[in-house]
Amino acid sequence: MTGHDVVFVLVGLLTAGGAVLTVTSKNLMHAALFFAVTLGGIAGVFLPLAADFLALVQIVVYVGAVAVLFMFGLMLTRAPIGREALDGQNRGLAMAVAGGLFVVLSTLVIGAFGDLPTAEVTGPRIDDLGIAIFADWVLPFEVLSMLLLAALIGAIVLARRETGESGEELTVTRIEMAQDRDPDALEREQAALTSGSGGDGEEHA
Amino acid sequence: MQIDFIAILPEIILTVTALLVLAADLALRGDAKQFVNPLAGLGTVAAIIATVALWGSERVTFGTMYVVDDFAVLFKLLFLGTLLAILAISWRYIAEHRFFQGEYYFLLLTSFIGMLLMPSSRDLIMLFIALETVSVPAFVMVGMRKRDLYSSESALKFFLLGVLAAALMLFGMSMVYGFAGTTDLVGIAAAISGETASVPLLLGSVMLVLVGFGFKISAVPFHFWAPDTYSGAPMPVAAMLAVASKAAGFAGLVVVAFIAFEPVADVWGPMLGVLAVLTMTVGNLIALQQRDLIRLLAYSSVAQAGYILIPFGLARTGPGAAVVNAAAIEAVVFYLIAYAVMNVGAFAVAIAVERRTGLRSIADYAGLSGRSPLLAMGMTVFLLSLGGAPLTVGLWAKFAILEAIAVDITLFGIVLAGFLVVNSVIAFFYYLKVVRTVWMDEAPAGLPQLQPGFNLSAVVVVLMVGTLVLGVLPGLVTDFSSVISIVAAG
Amino acid sequence: MLSEYLPVLLLFGLAVAFAVGSLVVSSLVGPRVPNPTKLAAYESGNIPLADVRNTRFSVKFYMVAMLFLIFDIEVVFIYPWAVVFRELGWFGLGQMALFIGILGVAFVYEIGRGGLEWD
Repeated sequence: MTGHDVVFVLVGLLTAGGAVLTVTSKNLMHAALFFAVTLGGIAGVFLPLAADFLALVQIVVYVGAVAVLFMFGLMLTRAPIGREALDGQNRGLAMAVAGGLFVVLSTLVIGAFGDLPTAEVTGPRIDDLGIAIFADWVLPFEVLSMLLLAALIGAIVLARRETGESGEELTVTRIEMAQDRDPDALEREQAALTSGSGGDGEEHA
Repeated sequence: MQIDFIAILPEIILTVTALLVLAADLALRGDAKQFVNPLAGLGTVAAIIATVALWGSERVTFGTMYVVDDFAVLFKLLFLGTLLAILAISWRYIAEHRFFQGEYYFLLLTSFIGMLLMPSSRDLIMLFIALETVSVPAFVMVGMRKRDLYSSESALKFFLLGVLAAALMLFGMSMVYGFAGTTDLVGIAAAISGETASVPLLLGSVMLVLVGFGFKISAVPFHFWAPDTYSGAPMPVAAMLAVASKAAGFAGLVVVAFIAFEPVADVWGPMLGVLAVLTMTVGNLIALQQRDLIRLLAYSSVAQAGYILIPFGLARTGPGAAVVNAAAIEAVVFYLIAYAVMNVGAFAVAIAVERRTGLRSIADYAGLSGRSPLLAMGMTVFLLSLGGAPLTVGLWAKFAILEAIAVDITLFGIVLAGFLVVNSVIAFFYYLKVVRTVWMDEAPAGLPQLQPGFNLSAVVVVLMVGTLVLGVLPGLVTDFSSVISIVAAG
Repeated sequence: MLSEYLPVLLLFGLAVAFAVGSLVVSSLVGPRVPNPTKLAAYESGNIPLADVRNTRFSVKFYMVAMLFLIFDIEVVFIYPWAVVFRELGWFGLGQMALFIGILGVAFVYEIGRGGLEWD
C-alpha cells in the first residue's frame, strides 16, 4: 500500500459513510447535510487520482451550489422536514436493489480491470483540459450554454408566482386545486364553463 | 480550426430564433404576445430551407464530431416538419390557456435544437448533451399547466425517471470510455472490436447506454412515465413527446448502436429484439383497456416504438452484416417518417376536440362525424394508418419492416415478424373502437359544433393528404437508399 | 504530488479541532442555568407565535440559488479557458464571448421579468 492507496481508502470510507447516513438518517435536513459530506468526499476521491481540477469543480459546484439548492428546496416546500417526514414503505426493496447493483457492478468492474498492472497516476493538466474543451469540444460547449439557459428559464417559469400570463399579474385571487380526471370533476368543469363564472374555469375559457 | 458553418446553419437559425422569441416576449404585452408563434414559425421555415440545401452533401466538421449526411438531413427535416406542425397546433391552445407563451416557444425551440444535433453527432459527449438539450426543456414544458396538480405530477414523474435514465446512460458512457479511451463513435467501434468485446463489463456498459435511449423512446420496462406524462402535459407538448422526442431517441439509438457498438451487435441485437416484442405487446394490451383518448394514444405510441425497435433486433456483426444493417436502418427511418405524419395528425384532432370542450375521454368523441366531418375524417384516417390499414402510409411502414426481415431470413426474424402481425391485429381493435365511436354513436346532447381554426384545419388536412398520398405512392419517400451511408462509416 | 495537499489537510484538522474543542470546552467550563425564556426561539424580543421549524422560505431564495448555480458552472468553464487564453487567441475569446453572451440572456430575462425584485 502506498500513501496514495491509504488516502484513497480513507476518503472512500468517508464518502461511503456519508452516503449511507444520507439514506438512513430520519431527519431530511440531516440527510441533506450528509449528502454534502458525500459530495465533498467525492472531491477527495478525485485528488489521489490526480484530477485536481475536477476536485475543485466538485467542491465549487456540488458542495457549494447543489447542496445549498437542496436545502433551499427542502425549506421551500410545505413538506415536513423533521423526524416524521420519512416513511420506509419500500425500504427492503430499495436495499435489495441497491445491494444487488453494488454486488453486480463491483464484480463486473473487478472482473474487467482487476488484473491490470498498477501504474503511477498522472492526471491531465488544466491547460490540456482547456485546449481539449476549446479546441476539440467546441460544439458541445456552445450547445451547453443553450442547455443551461433553457434550464434556468425553465426553473424561473416553474418557480415564478402564478400570474396566469407572462408579464402582468392577474387581480383575481385563485385557489389552487387538483383537478381529478373523474367524471364529477368533468361535470363541474363543464358547469363552470357554461356558466362562464368562477376563477377556476379560466383554464378552459 | 476550421468550422463548417453551413453544416450547422439550421441549428444556428433555430438558436437565433429561440433567443429572438424570448426577447419578443419580453417586449410584447398582453394579446400581442401570441405573435411570438409566427416568429418561431418563420425561423423554422428558414431552418428547413437551410436543411434542404444540405441534401446530398457530406459534410464533416468539428474534427469528426459532427457529420451532416443524407441520414442526418432526413432526420432533421422530420424534426423541423414536426416542429412546424406543433407550432401550428400550439398557437391557439397556448394563447387561450394563458401559459407563459414566450417561455413555452423558447423551450420548444431549444428542445428541437437538441434533436437536430442528435443524428449528426459522432461523439458520446455530443450525443449526451444533445439528448439533455432535448429532455430538459421537455421536463419544464410538461409541467407548464401549473394550476393543475396533475400536470405537476406528470412533470415530476417524467423528470425523475428521465434523470435516472440519464444517470445510468452517463455511467455506461464513462465505462465505455474506460475501455475505448475515446468518446469518438468510430474510434469506439475500432477499440472494442476483437477480444475486448466479450468482457462482461463492456457489454453491461453498452446496455446502460442503450437504456438511456430506451427511456427516451419509451420502450417497455422504461415506459411507465409515458401515459401519465402525455395526459398531464399540455397537449401540443404530448404530441411533441410522442413524435419528435421519440424520433430523436431513435436517431441517437441508430447512431450509437450501428456505429459505435456495431462490433457487439450480436449481443444488443437480440436483446433489442426481445425488447421490441415486449414493448409492442405490452403497449397494445394495455391500450385495449384505455378510456381516455390521450392515454390510448400514449400506449399506442409505446406499441409503435416496439414496431420501430424490430429492425434493431435484426442487427448483426461480421461478414455480410452491412446489408442487413442497412435494410434495418432504412426501415427505421421510413417507419419514423410515417409515424410522425399519422401521430401528429391524431394529436391535432384530439387538440381540436379538447380545446372547445375540455373533453378527452373516448366516449366524448361520439358523433364527432356530425359535429365536424373534417375532424372525424382526419381521426379515422390517422387511426387506421396507425393500425396499418391498406391505402395508408401505415401499411407501407409495416411492410418496410417485413422487407428488412426478409433481407436475410432467420428464425428470430420470423418470430419478430409473427409478433408484428399479431400485434397489428390486436391494435386494430382499439383503433377501430375509436373510429366506431366517432361515426356510429349518437353525440351526447349539449356538445357544441366544432369549427377548428385555420392552423389546426390546415395541419389536419395536410397530414391527412400526406397519409393517403404516401399510402398510394410510398415510393415518394422510400427511395432514399443514401440514408444508409452511415453503415459504411461503422 | 499528494503531499502538496498536506497544508490543506492540516487546515482541515485545525478547523475540526477548533470546532470540537470549543464545544467541549464550553460544555465543561460554561455555567448552565436554563429557564423557559432563555430556551425560546429568538424573534427580536417578541414571543414566538408558531412553530418556526415548518415555516416556508420564499421561493425567491430558490431563484437566487438557481442563478448562482448557473453562473457557478459558467465560472468553472472560465478557469481552464483563462489558463490557455493566449494559445487560443481570438477564436477562444469568441467562443467564451458567445457562451457568456447566451447565458447572459438568462440574466437579462430574469431582470426583465422582475425576478430579482424583492417586493
